[in-house]
Amino acid sequence: MNFELLLTYRPLLMAAEVTLLWSVLTIGLYWLSKHFHRRYKRWWTTPIIITPILLIIITLLSHTNYNVYIRGTHWLIALLGPATVAFAVPIYKRRNIMVLYWRTLSIGVVFGSILSIASAWFLASAVGITDALRLSLLPRSISTPFAMVISGEIGGTPELTALFVILTGIFGASFGQLLLYWLPLKSKMSMGASFGIAAHVAGSSKAYELDNEVGTIAALVMVLTGIFNVLIAPLLEIILT
Amino acid sequence: MLPRKFAMLSHTFKKLLVFLKRTFHKSRILQIALITALWFIAQEISLWSHLPIPGGVIGLFLVLILLYFNLLSIRSLALGAEWFLAEMLLFFIPAVPAVLNHQEFFGWMGLKILAIIILGTIIVIIGTAIIVDFSFYKLEKLSKREMKS
Repeated sequence: MNFELLLTYRPLLMAAEVTLLWSVLTIGLYWLSKHFHRRYKRWWTTPIIITPILLIIITLLSHTNYNVYIRGTHWLIALLGPATVAFAVPIYKRRNIMVLYWRTLSIGVVFGSILSIASAWFLASAVGITDALRLSLLPRSISTPFAMVISGEIGGTPELTALFVILTGIFGASFGQLLLYWLPLKSKMSMGASFGIAAHVAGSSKAYELDNEVGTIAALVMVLTGIFNVLIAPLLEIILT
Repeated sequence: MLPRKFAMLSHTFKKLLVFLKRTFHKSRILQIALITALWFIAQEISLWSHLPIPGGVIGLFLVLILLYFNLLSIRSLALGAEWFLAEMLLFFIPAVPAVLNHQEFFGWMGLKILAIIILGTIIVIIGTAIIVDFSFYKLEKLSKREMKS
C-alpha cells in the first residue's frame, strides 16, 4: 500500500470530514431545537435564536475558526437560492392579490424601502458609526441575496450586511407579531406588508405561521422590495457619494 | 401492421409518461431536485447576462412564467416548495457565527449596531403597517367609487 499517496489526499479528506462534521452538527442542532420549540413555546426557543447561540458556544469551546466552520456549511446558505425560487408557488397560487391590490402594494414597497434605508442612515449617524459600516447597514431589511449585491454596489461590506440582514430577520420575526398586535390595524394587507418589508424571508415564514394570506402578501412584498432596492441602488450610490 | 405497432408503442409511451408524472407529483425529493436545478439554470443566466439581480430571483420569475404558460404544473413543485419554505430558517443559521470574525462587535460597537437594527426594524414595521393600512382603505373606497361611476 502506498501511504505517501494517501498522505497527498489528506487535505481533501480533511475537507470532507470538516464538511460532514459541521453540517451534521448544524442540522442536528436545528432539528433538536425545532422539536424543543414545539414543546416549549417561548420566543427565545425559536431555532433561529437558540441554534446559532449553541453553535457559537461549540465553536468557541473547540477553538474552531469561523472560516473553517463556514467552509463546511456554506452549502446550507447557498440553499437560500432555491428557497427564493420556491416562493414562486405561493405567489402564483395567490396571483389575484397582486392584480387586485397593486396600488397599495407598490405604495408599501416604496415607502417601506425608503423608511428602512433612511432609518438605518440616520440612526447610524446619530451614534457616530463610520462610513463603510453605515453603508453596510443600509440594505439590512431586504433578503440576503439582494442585500449582498446592493451592499457591494454602494460600497459596504457584503459579508457584514449578510449578518445585519439576519439579525434584522431574527428580531423582526420574533417581535413583529407583538408590535403588530399592539397597533390598531384593520387589514391583513398591512401585517403582511410590514413583515415582508421589515424582516424579509424570516418575516415571511413567520407570517405563514400566522396566516396563509398574510404569509403570501409578505412573500410577495419581500420579493418586490428586493427588486425595487436593486433598481434604486445606483441612484443611492449617486446620492451618498 | 406497422401503424398498429406504432400506435401500441405510443400508447405504452404515454402510459409511461403518466406514471412518471404521478411519481413526480408525489415525490418531495424529486421536486426539491427540480427546484434546485431550476435555480442552477437561473444562476447561470444571472452570471451570463451580468444583471445585478441574484439567481434566486431570476429563478422565481422563470418558474412564474413556466407556471403561467402551463409549461409546468403547480403539482410538480408544490411539495418541494413547501419543504424549502418550512426549513428556511436552517439556511440562515450558518451565517450567524460570522460575528466571531469581528471581535470589534463584542462590546460597545456591537451594542450600538444592535440598537440601530432593533430601533430601525421597529420604525419600519410600524411605519409600513400604518401607511399600508391607510392606503388600503383609501384605495378600497376609491375603487368602489370607480365602480359606481
